[in-house]
Amino acid sequence: MQTIIENLQKHFQVVSYHQQRENLGFLIASKEVAVGLITHLRDYEGFAHLVLLTAVDWIEDEHFQLTYLLHHPEKKVDLGVRVMISRENAEMYSIHHLWEQARTYQRELREMFGINFPGSPDVDKPFILEGWEEIPPYRRDFDTKEYSEKTYFPRPGRETHDPAEYMKKKLYPNE
Amino acid sequence: MAKLNDILSPFTAWKHVVREPVTIKDPLNREAADRYRGFHKNDISECIGCGTCESICQNAAIDLVPVDGVETKDGDSGLRPRVDYGRCCWCGLCVDVCTTNSLSLSNEYTWVDEDPDNFRFVPGAENKSWDSREKGYKKPGNGYELYNPKREAMEELEPEKRDQSFIEIVQGYSKEQAEQEADRCVECGICVATCPAHMGIPEYIKAIRNDDLNEGLRVLYDTNPLPEICGRICTHKCETVCSVGHHGDPLSIRWLKRYIADQNPAEEYKKILNTENLQPTGKKVAIIGSGPSGLSAAHYLALMGYQCTIYEKLPAAGGMMRFGIPEYRLPYDQLDKDINYILSLGVEIKYNVTIGKDITLEELHNQYDAVFSGTGLHMGRSTRVPGTDHPKVYQAVDLLRDIVLGKEIPLEENIVVIGGGNVAMDITRSLARLQKQKYGKVGVLATSLESEDIMPADREEVIEAREENAVIDPGWGPVEIETEGDKVKGLHVVKCLSVFDENRRFAPKFDEEQKKFFPADMVVESIGQGMDLSYLPEAFKEQLDMDQRGRILVNDDFQTSAGWLFAGGDIIQGPDVIHGIANGHKAAMGIDKYLSEK
Repeated sequence: MQTIIENLQKHFQVVSYHQQRENLGFLIASKEVAVGLITHLRDYEGFAHLVLLTAVDWIEDEHFQLTYLLHHPEKKVDLGVRVMISRENAEMYSIHHLWEQARTYQRELREMFGINFPGSPDVDKPFILEGWEEIPPYRRDFDTKEYSEKTYFPRPGRETHDPAEYMKKKLYPNE
Repeated sequence: MAKLNDILSPFTAWKHVVREPVTIKDPLNREAADRYRGFHKNDISECIGCGTCESICQNAAIDLVPVDGVETKDGDSGLRPRVDYGRCCWCGLCVDVCTTNSLSLSNEYTWVDEDPDNFRFVPGAENKSWDSREKGYKKPGNGYELYNPKREAMEELEPEKRDQSFIEIVQGYSKEQAEQEADRCVECGICVATCPAHMGIPEYIKAIRNDDLNEGLRVLYDTNPLPEICGRICTHKCETVCSVGHHGDPLSIRWLKRYIADQNPAEEYKKILNTENLQPTGKKVAIIGSGPSGLSAAHYLALMGYQCTIYEKLPAAGGMMRFGIPEYRLPYDQLDKDINYILSLGVEIKYNVTIGKDITLEELHNQYDAVFSGTGLHMGRSTRVPGTDHPKVYQAVDLLRDIVLGKEIPLEENIVVIGGGNVAMDITRSLARLQKQKYGKVGVLATSLESEDIMPADREEVIEAREENAVIDPGWGPVEIETEGDKVKGLHVVKCLSVFDENRRFAPKFDEEQKKFFPADMVVESIGQGMDLSYLPEAFKEQLDMDQRGRILVNDDFQTSAGWLFAGGDIIQGPDVIHGIANGHKAAMGIDKYLSEK
């Protein structure tokens, strides 16, 4: 793994590298170099398989973290490429030309996080949400509880108790 | 084109009617993956009904409900979570946040039932086929906690720097530390019932998180007018039931209270607490004793517009808080900050006045509309073993009081203290400091009936006493103090095997064969204190309802059978500061009720 990273650093600017396990590491690359770097990993280093593409909303830092997890079938190692993109007008270059299935991940990220991938086929088509009008639900500023209270009616017969209030009623009702 | 498609598509769908269904019944009845998140399990004997699972659930799928056979008691709400599977999305956050690790998810995910209401049940209380399954999702271990299980460390003065002086040991939290610590609170409120004053603990911790310390002070004063004091020396029973303490350190509730009080400047209290204009009722209340219960009663009565006068036997206010607790635990300026605020509400203290001597109880009754008595426990009890009547055998409370009064106290190079409570630790550590100042070395040993594990003193008191080079040798019963003329030679003890019988009654058992001798030039007894009710005239005492042990009986309003006389603090309940505060508060409300109805 270390040699792969050293090779990579000759061609690309790698912001940081963290070896999580013997067969798993993560590097951070900038948005601009990421697609070139991933292409290089696929075509020259042998990371033939895109395992997944996912995102994390670091709302406090005002960015999304994209993770491209790549697998090397011969060396049996995984390498995650992390890319930080701005939360505002979130947009990333598409990699559907590298792996056909990337279009599905990108469509999902478009819908769940509101991250756009211009040029990715069907990226604007609804994926699993039907008639969604709220902000994308995986964004951390989406209030899941408020949404579920608003959308799903409470079933009859439900009741709850606040622990402190209930204990007062039971243990010291007159104080 | 799109429109035409919209019209036709419902019809084209009919072609699927004759197709083989894609979905089939699972022919293998396969088990899910080992860590699959299926139906909930709950170990209801471990669960304390803190409700953090309910609070975190993003789908409002969990309710807390009473369950047959589960009792509401200290540290346990008696409630248990009920899950509505119509809403649960199996995310497992309820498991991740569970403070007792009682909640988990089994890997069972198939369950067929005709009645939808069956999909709402209390895991653990209603038997399910997956209850005994080992596989499933459990709270992940280290590093994945949703709150920090480790307490923010408190800076303390090092033993070498503190053993010669009486300066405060505990340094207090910084803003960052307090906010970090407050961030660990899950706001369950389990602690509130255990606090004798039922303080709004989650609310004031929340105020720290929101950096709104004025609001924090208001929450404190709702139930406790001595927060600087309690923030330092409270017995903090609340921390023993803290839900976070089940798998981690409990919240540092006491130090957080201190942080709020420390950060609010005394001169702004009246503005923050909105007590600048109190409406007088014209009625007067006399209070005997300026300890925690008397001060607390005076505070809440003053807020309601009563003119309060406190009669104090000693030349300064605070009772045991000043004359019992050493300065290194509770500095006088902090004590005075709390007391001066109460005085600023119009409360008056008459010092050096002894009831029954300088003024009688009858006179108070005649001059005031009501009287509150909180005279506390100031008479040291004796072991009564042979030798205790020797002049070089002293009582801890007397010595502690004399230290505060600035009197020179008898101080030998080798001292034995009998007792294992906080007062015993207070006198041991005070004597150690004085010895260090006078002789340059410490020669004090404390011994108690109770073995180390059941010593009544706070654990940190014992640890710190040892750090200051005092010797603590618990588990011995005193037999005799050996004396020779005007000198004390030491204390003979035998091994104490147990202190209480099976009914938790005091019945110490000894092994007379295991003996020890602690050489000493002076002995201090500190095995508890009794009350002095001599200010109650005999004829009056006979009319008053009292129990067989000579304690005054009071009702829920802390009112005695005399009607006009209320009582609280250590003579009624405790002994500790927080019970006194709670008693004083309730008595103040009781006095208000009594005088309003009169």
